[in-house]
Amino acid sequence: MIEEIQAKARELLEDGTVSCVIGYERASSGVGARPCFAYEPSDVDKFIFDNTCHNDLATYLRGLKGKKTAIVAKPYDSRAVNLLLNEKQIERQDVYIIGVVCVDDYRHKTKHARENASPDVELAIPVIYDVLIGEAVERKSRSEQAFSDVAEIEAKSTAERQEFWEEQFSRCIRCYACRQACPGCYCTECFVEQLDPLWTGIRIAPSENQLWNVIRAFHLAGRCIGCNECERVCPMNIPLSLLNRKLEQQALEMFDFRAGMDAETAPHFATFKKDEHLGIG
Amino acid sequence: MAVEFEPKIVGFLCNWCSYAGADMAGTSRLCYPSNIRIIRVPCSGRVDPLIIIKSFQRGADGVLIAGCHPGDCHYTEGNYYARRRFAMLAPFLEYTGIERERFRVEWVSAAEGKRFSNVVTSFTDQIAKLGPRQARIGKEELV
Repeated sequence: MIEEIQAKARELLEDGTVSCVIGYERASSGVGARPCFAYEPSDVDKFIFDNTCHNDLATYLRGLKGKKTAIVAKPYDSRAVNLLLNEKQIERQDVYIIGVVCVDDYRHKTKHARENASPDVELAIPVIYDVLIGEAVERKSRSEQAFSDVAEIEAKSTAERQEFWEEQFSRCIRCYACRQACPGCYCTECFVEQLDPLWTGIRIAPSENQLWNVIRAFHLAGRCIGCNECERVCPMNIPLSLLNRKLEQQALEMFDFRAGMDAETAPHFATFKKDEHLGIG
Repeated sequence: MAVEFEPKIVGFLCNWCSYAGADMAGTSRLCYPSNIRIIRVPCSGRVDPLIIIKSFQRGADGVLIAGCHPGDCHYTEGNYYARRRFAMLAPFLEYTGIERERFRVEWVSAAEGKRFSNVVTSFTDQIAKLGPRQARIGKEELV
């Protein structure tokens, strides 16, 4: 599989189709993987691909805007590419997608996913690609317990939930790694860095942490493509995907919208139906 | 003697319908609880979820959003977008530990002074029954 990725990447760089290929290389620790930006055909030799390749590489596409770029895309990275295309952040002709089939779920296994045998693994094939590497396999159907983790939180009383989140957010050190790793978090100026008005205080206090995490989640309401990178990079192990998945579930139920499945469907907040009944007002 | 709980409610009213509706309630000499602090916004579509969550963080017991009836928006479609946004926000607030009942969206036209007074009265009653927000976070650290 890696030979095929390398061959394709080399070919793209050699014939000048793209000026950069984003893939993975072995991290300096020797165990993990890190993003690798190949500008020369020889750089491609460093590429690796295995189940340590967690980073959502679509995060870097906006930074290379205007340059023709190829990206090694796992299924969830490809959803992120669709998200960026849909939101007009990148141009389709500027990006060449080397889709890689992942029979196993290559996303970082959260504690919860480990316990529940990964509730959401139906994406094995990238949803958008120019070339597909690996054998196309049947997509697993979405399992019954796709949102079992969300239901678990919902089963709690309001007071228990408040306590639960309070406990989780009290650990937050506001390093904003979740934002940096997220392909959907691309505001030039994040609300948390605005000084006037100062939406979140600078101090690390539970209520400020809660505001930050809840608002960040809501900015991704129904836009989260489920790569779980925010949760993986969180140094304090806050279960951020629980927030994102709740909103993903709501968007699905209310608007039948799943972010990043294609690049054409109008985003749920950018459109409306006049006669819809959403249980408010 | 225990002091009776007076809820603090923040109301974001759209300039064109609901704010005028509140005005109508006033000029019609209708009563409604003074627990609501009204903030005038250009459109219900202007109300960023951020300012709602910020209100709760700063100690609001309830937040009311009022805008033009669907179809009557001064900007034609602002309240349709708002409706979608708040429909997503309301259950999410509950999920993060803020009772669903503390957040309400109502459509109030400029002619509906009576309706505005009823909405504020019932909302205030509802929140008075719920009691103060168990906001252990936030309150003790507010300066």
